[in-house]
Amino acid sequence: MPESPFDQILSPMRPPVSPWMPCLLAWVLPGLGHIYLGKKQTGLVFLAVVLATFALGISSNGTAALIDSRQPLTVLATFDNLAVGPIEAISRFITYRRFVYRLPEDETDPQQAELNEKVRQRIRSVTYEYGNTFLLTAGLMNMLLILDAFDIAKGRKD
Amino acid sequence: MIRSHFLNMVVFSALVAVFFAFLTQNETRDRVRISVIIGGSMVVLSLIVAYVMYPFPLR
Repeated sequence: MPESPFDQILSPMRPPVSPWMPCLLAWVLPGLGHIYLGKKQTGLVFLAVVLATFALGISSNGTAALIDSRQPLTVLATFDNLAVGPIEAISRFITYRRFVYRLPEDETDPQQAELNEKVRQRIRSVTYEYGNTFLLTAGLMNMLLILDAFDIAKGRKD
Repeated sequence: MIRSHFLNMVVFSALVAVFFAFLTQNETRDRVRISVIIGGSMVVLSLIVAYVMYPFPLR
């Protein structure tokens, strides 16, 4: 139900908060946006949950996705990996031993063969699919946290 | 690394359940209730789907 002007006058004044700052902080470190908005306990729980999900993804041999022009869905997977924030670089470095985000289009490029071989080595692990699921879920969780921090800062949610 | 399929499922369900409980509820009591409902539903429904899928693919 929309608030009436009378309710708005009676409600306690919320200090003006730019919604972009908590969003940026939430991306930099999961839960940091909520801590910035005064929800310390909730933010710490989010931090623990997202980091645990991310760590389980790495330890289960999940791989960071690469954008492959022949497979459009890899764009979404890479975007999802990046949504977890700068810590995403850890999974990328563990997978490829460098920070690479796009698979070379030229099939004769030796770099493409090298990157594919690194992915193949991880696919052989029995927990590869679980690892990928954990990594992608960590990214999806952080996307929701960024949107939640935005809503709280805008006053749409307590 | 967790090698057990069942344990992976339980851990995944628990993490997702706690996440959504904290995202959607503000009171501790509600958070615990929603965590149990979401986590329990994920595990039980997964086991049911696994049993339904057991005969497939038909040979």
